[in-house]
Amino acid sequence: MKSFNYLAIAVVATNKYLYAAEAGMPQLDPTYWASQAFWLILIFSILYISISKFYLPKIKDNLDNRENKIKEDIENANRFKEQSEAKLKEYELILENAKKEVAKILFESKNILDKEIKIKKDEMEKEIEKEILKAQKEISELKKNSISSIQDISENITSNIIENISGNKLNKNSIKAAVEEISKKNIGNLL
Amino acid sequence: MASNPMQQFTVYRIGPEIKIAGIDLSFTNSSLFMVISTSVILLFLFFGSKEKKIIPDKIQLIAEMFYNFVAKMISDTAGSKAKPFFPFIFSLFMFVLLCNMVGMLPYSFTVTSHIIVTLIMALFIFVAVTIIGFFKHGFKYLSIFVPSGVPAVLLPLITIIEIISYLSRPVSLSVRLFANMMAGHTMLKVFGGFVVSLGILGGWLPLSFSVALTGLEILVAFLQAYVFAILTCIYLNDALNLHH
Repeated sequence: MKSFNYLAIAVVATNKYLYAAEAGMPQLDPTYWASQAFWLILIFSILYISISKFYLPKIKDNLDNRENKIKEDIENANRFKEQSEAKLKEYELILENAKKEVAKILFESKNILDKEIKIKKDEMEKEIEKEILKAQKEISELKKNSISSIQDISENITSNIIENISGNKLNKNSIKAAVEEISKKNIGNLL
Repeated sequence: MASNPMQQFTVYRIGPEIKIAGIDLSFTNSSLFMVISTSVILLFLFFGSKEKKIIPDKIQLIAEMFYNFVAKMISDTAGSKAKPFFPFIFSLFMFVLLCNMVGMLPYSFTVTSHIIVTLIMALFIFVAVTIIGFFKHGFKYLSIFVPSGVPAVLLPLITIIEIISYLSRPVSLSVRLFANMMAGHTMLKVFGGFVVSLGILGGWLPLSFSVALTGLEILVAFLQAYVFAILTCIYLNDALNLHH
């Protein structure tokens, strides 16, 4: 109930204000029209002159400066980029050349090594063959020697055996012929 | 009668009476707030253009934003021919904007809520645009009243309508700004009165309305300055580039 009373008072009060508002619009009171016009023209002229003469050129200068600076910086950056790209290309070229050279050197040294190895190998083979031939000769000589010494030994043994068994000394030549015959039969198989 | 919603629009004399040739040119509260608005603009621009930094500080950035905003508005609506009028449009926009914004402060006076102020600005624009039009195009400027591609039967009617619309430009331009400002401030005052009369119990609703309306009025203050400037640009465009 109390708030309703407040509302009623408010409505009455506002109505009174609204009627008061209708009573007069200060805007339509011509007393100070000339004064307002005069001061408006004066103050706006001052504002216009100071803005157009001082502030706008300053701000424009500033904006232009910044734009130029940015343009310059971008140009510089582009130039540096081009330079670095050129340098990179140069570097790549050098690298490629170096790789080619390396391959060449590798190839050449390989060839030389191969040749040297071949020569050494041939030499070694020759030497080895020589050694083998020498060894074979020695072996065959040894064989020959051993055969003759075997014959001598067998002759002696034979004569000794015959002497011991029969007590007779046989003719050396006949023993030799017999041993030779037998050894030819047997050693021929060995040789 | 401090609670009269129209009380805030009263103009009163400050200081001595100045009379020149019988006309009262006294310094009033209206003049005071014009001076305040202008001083704020000039101070703002002074600090906004004082240091020429490549990377701007806040105030310089705001000043440059205003510059670019108005420059773009002009080049979009009136083209490159309107460049010589850039300082005028800029001053006009800043002046109307700051008068509107300063008027949003409590106990202040809104210069642009007076029809005489807006009418003088609009009349000046109207006369200047008309003179520019005739100066640039001679009597061919009158062809602005005769749109092309209109059937011959309708042509007299259209021409009359065009003339009326052209002549009513200063009225529409001035009344739009003045009425918007007056209505907004009156409404704020009325809701403020509601808050007082409904007291602690019922006053919260009009108070929240008041807060919302303050936001709206700040938007309107900016919007009306923008509209005032852009309409000036459009009128200038008609005078500079004869399209019809």
